[in-house]
Amino acid sequence: MPADRPAPYLVADRVTAGYGPVPVIRDVSLSVATGEIVAVIGPNGAGKSTLLKALVGILRVSGGSVRLGPDDVTNFAPEALAGRGVGYVPQVGDIFEPLTVHENLEMGGFLLTRAAVARRIDEVCAVFPRLGGMLRRRADKLSGGERKMLAIARVLMLDPRVLILDEPTANLSPQLADALLRERIRGLAAGGKAVLLVEQRARAAMQIADWTVVLVSGANRLEGRPAELLGRPDFEASFLGAAAGPAQGAAPARPAVP
Amino acid sequence: MTAGEIYYATTLLVYAGVDAMACIALNLQFGVSGLVNFGFIIFQAAGAYAAAVMSMPPAAGTFQQYVGGWGLPFPLPWLGGAAAGGLLAIPVGLVVLRRLRTDYQAIALLVISVIANTVITNARSFLNGAAGLALVPPPLAGVINTKTIGYQWLYVALTVLGCALVFVAAQRIVYSPYGRTLRAMRERELAAGALGKNIVLLKMIMFVVGGVIAGLSGAILVGYIGVWAPDTWLYPETIVLFAALIVGGRGNNLGAVLGALLVPVAFEEATRFIPQFGPPGFIPAMQRVAIGLLIVGFLWFRPSGTLPERRRVFPKARSGGGREAPATDGLRGVPARAADGWGGPPVAPSLPRLRAENIERHFEGLRAVDGVSLDLHPGRLTGLIGPNGAGKSTLLAVLAGTLPASAGRILLDGEDITRLPAFRRAQRGLVRTFQLSSEFSQLTVLENLLVAVPGHPGDTLAGALRGRRAWWPEETRLVERARGLLERFRMTAAESQYAGNLSGGQKRLLEIMRALMLRPRVLLLDEPMAGVHPSVVDEIAAVLESLRDEGLAILMVEHELAMVDRLCDPVIVMAQGRVIGRGSMTALRGQREVVEAYIAG
Amino acid sequence: MSIYAAAFGFGLVSAAVISIAAVGFTMQFGITNLINLAYGEVMISSAYAAYALNQAGVNIWIGLVAAAAFGAVLSFVLNRLFYAPFQRRGTSLIGLVIVALAAGLIVSNVLLAIVGPDSVSYTVADAVVIRAGGLILTWVQVVVFLVAAAAMAAVHTLLTFTRLGKAMRATAANPTLARNCGIPTGRVIDLVWVITGALCGLAGTVAAIDSASFRVSDGATYLIVILAAAVLGGAGQPYGAMLGALLIGLMTELSAAALSPQYKEVVAFAVLVAVMILRPQGLLSKIGALGQAG
Repeated sequence: MPADRPAPYLVADRVTAGYGPVPVIRDVSLSVATGEIVAVIGPNGAGKSTLLKALVGILRVSGGSVRLGPDDVTNFAPEALAGRGVGYVPQVGDIFEPLTVHENLEMGGFLLTRAAVARRIDEVCAVFPRLGGMLRRRADKLSGGERKMLAIARVLMLDPRVLILDEPTANLSPQLADALLRERIRGLAAGGKAVLLVEQRARAAMQIADWTVVLVSGANRLEGRPAELLGRPDFEASFLGAAAGPAQGAAPARPAVP
Repeated sequence: MTAGEIYYATTLLVYAGVDAMACIALNLQFGVSGLVNFGFIIFQAAGAYAAAVMSMPPAAGTFQQYVGGWGLPFPLPWLGGAAAGGLLAIPVGLVVLRRLRTDYQAIALLVISVIANTVITNARSFLNGAAGLALVPPPLAGVINTKTIGYQWLYVALTVLGCALVFVAAQRIVYSPYGRTLRAMRERELAAGALGKNIVLLKMIMFVVGGVIAGLSGAILVGYIGVWAPDTWLYPETIVLFAALIVGGRGNNLGAVLGALLVPVAFEEATRFIPQFGPPGFIPAMQRVAIGLLIVGFLWFRPSGTLPERRRVFPKARSGGGREAPATDGLRGVPARAADGWGGPPVAPSLPRLRAENIERHFEGLRAVDGVSLDLHPGRLTGLIGPNGAGKSTLLAVLAGTLPASAGRILLDGEDITRLPAFRRAQRGLVRTFQLSSEFSQLTVLENLLVAVPGHPGDTLAGALRGRRAWWPEETRLVERARGLLERFRMTAAESQYAGNLSGGQKRLLEIMRALMLRPRVLLLDEPMAGVHPSVVDEIAAVLESLRDEGLAILMVEHELAMVDRLCDPVIVMAQGRVIGRGSMTALRGQREVVEAYIAG
Repeated sequence: MSIYAAAFGFGLVSAAVISIAAVGFTMQFGITNLINLAYGEVMISSAYAAYALNQAGVNIWIGLVAAAAFGAVLSFVLNRLFYAPFQRRGTSLIGLVIVALAAGLIVSNVLLAIVGPDSVSYTVADAVVIRAGGLILTWVQVVVFLVAAAAMAAVHTLLTFTRLGKAMRATAANPTLARNCGIPTGRVIDLVWVITGALCGLAGTVAAIDSASFRVSDGATYLIVILAAAVLGGAGQPYGAMLGALLIGLMTELSAAALSPQYKEVVAFAVLVAVMILRPQGLLSKIGALGQAG
């Protein structure tokens, strides 16, 4: 592990999880530091979304542990993790469709006091000015880009320390996707959040990520700085199913855990 | 025994017979077919009213008002009662069973039951309103003396006879291929539909069959007690029958009879012998409370009832050689059904088995599949890969007929099948599997295979009622075929296990076997390795290889590219509804466009 | 014509009574996805709770409040005792319907054992008749109407302006996401049962006040009318249930005036069947539509 990687805040250590008796991900490890963007990429079916669900308490972790700073938060309930500053934007079902934009933001700030909610809505709308103009609109009337903005704004209500995003650019045009990643998500990390990003658009995600983890068949395959990975011959191959063996490559499959 | 005691005993026996019949009918509907008929009692009531007005004299000149009054001789009123129950089931079934979700079906039937009671109560001129019908003549009145003890026993005998007929018919249905289909529908309606079973028709038939039996039970009851009024068929009576079935055992006719004897008969009679206490009506109310608690208690602690549904175990083949001789060399060692097994040689060697030309499929303006052409050849395992949302599963569904094509042509051995529905294509040898498991959990592995085969002579109501002789030869033949597959897939040991208890990987194997039961020429597989333990993946791969080598044409959608690499040639890559590459996996890895599709997303 | 004007007035009062009940029922369905077939029995039990107080000399309008509290407690207990355990175990929808039916049987027969099958009536202050145009209403009917209006306004306020109400709608729309927001959905659902139970108790007592007399077996009749209103409005949608109640109330009373009073429930039935035939996909189909109220 490169020495210049900052101390991690969110750590997944050999996490195993799945929906039935057969785990979808096995012994997956990664870590995200404050101010860092970590992109998790890999072919479909690799278990990327499953990993995120296990981290935010929706799926039971059957092996390994999840840590937040000094605390072990393995199998904490989703509402408990929300209270501890973990914000999660799922790929679908990311907003409350029948509620208005304003009500969605209020629900995002459910754990805040009434006064804090109002203040925080103003702050979040300063980040996403377009939302400010459509607070009374029902959320299911939003366009794809606005919808994703609302979903991100909703988790920002609690000013989380960790932001976990599942394919935020799915269903967005390439231009919108690019803008979202470069401007919004980059900015959030610069503002001091630990960002864990799952992306189908691997190349675009790697352009903004500080660290990239390639997941194949439910296991860590490769990881490293994006620029290094892109130059490696086994990187493209890992997407197209050629290289085998999780321990291959120069970078360690598992980050050293402090 | 005194005359009083005999009268008591015969009354109890008639009630027991009537309740047993009703429970058997409810078992066919709810226990076997999964139809939650909360309006069951109205079918019994229809039979009772019909039998009453058919046997009663004309209403004119009596103190009652009612329609009919034909004074028909026995057994016509009983037959008429059965017919009335069945006829009533047709309109009710047509309203309720076609498109409502099951829990709403139940609610709708409950509502219909309550309202029907209100209507009959208020419509005095129709069936004498709230007072109900009285002085219904007993069967054979006027022919023999109905006031004797001998007549009591005769009535018991007739009831037992009716009950026995119903029991035999119900046994024949439950233990036939038709019953197997009904249970498959109960377990997973969509999957049963995908196998070409006509779900609405199956439900309608069972609704009518149950209605006929319920109507007969009502006719027998009214002939004995001589009165029938709205407050004898309030909806809680249906709940009592449900309680009986849940206590006795759903899916098991003997359980239904046992439940009838335990709950409506023994339970209600037992309270006659405890001293009266509390205000009037206290004990019956407590009985109902107990029935409610019985339902909840059994559902919680013993949901399958006292006599659970029997697991079907088929007798082993008698010939000793069949089982021991082969099975030497793993999968490929078993004598395969040679190269002609999967549809015979192609029409011409150069022609593909399946040809798709410029297939398009649009969803609300979106082109999910946009001009795809492909050929599937016998003895070839073609891979279909691509990033999420590329249109792979949609293409598969269009080829199989699960979704209609918006444009393009599909030819199976040169025959245009573009307009055929999925199950017709399956009958012609184009069979698909599904991405999600679709096993029937409460059917054994062997039954899961047998249920897939269409055209079984025992898979109709008439065939089932004719009895085993009518369908046993075909059944034996199919069991043999299924056992061959099980042996080949090394699942012989699991033959009589419930499919719900299999591992994820075994369920995928089961699904492939179920497709093979249809003797396909072309097999379409949707992610056969998804959710499968790595140790089973190799097993599935070996099976697919051997099927390919035997001449089956296979198309496989799969995410696990290492597997595609090992098994498939050629591989077709789709992105955004179009084919962006074809060839061997090695060649495709060198194509920039393919790599970009995967990495740029 | 005045017979129709009078029927219109009665219809409004019926609609008021039905709307309280139907809104509670539809909220239970929309948020917890459970068809509570014991609802009518909880209504009639609450009416008897008010009756007990009324017999002891308490004013019926105070009894109304007590009945709401009784309905809230009974509904909460029913959920904790019967429904929640089966839901946690993953029982099928149809299994839950059977459990609910059994629960209703238990509630109504415990009540029957306590109070007996006979009809009773409240002691209500003398009815002053109010005439306006063709409308003829008693003072009691006017109060019943006002109680319903107040209850509807309270539901509207709850769902639109309070954090709890919004959390209920959020839970109905997307329970997983609600938990990710930090909403304690378990407690929210407990409160749903308390609030809808209070509506149920209120509705039962108001219905009993509105009718000359009532008895235990009326619970089943209530349930059918409520189902009709909820289905007509699109189940799970409180405002739809209000509209459905209005239509059912007016239709039953007007048809009673035009045809015969015996056929009140038959009209409700005809409406149900028509909805089932004409738009079966719309019937009770919008799970979680509760949030669409706003």
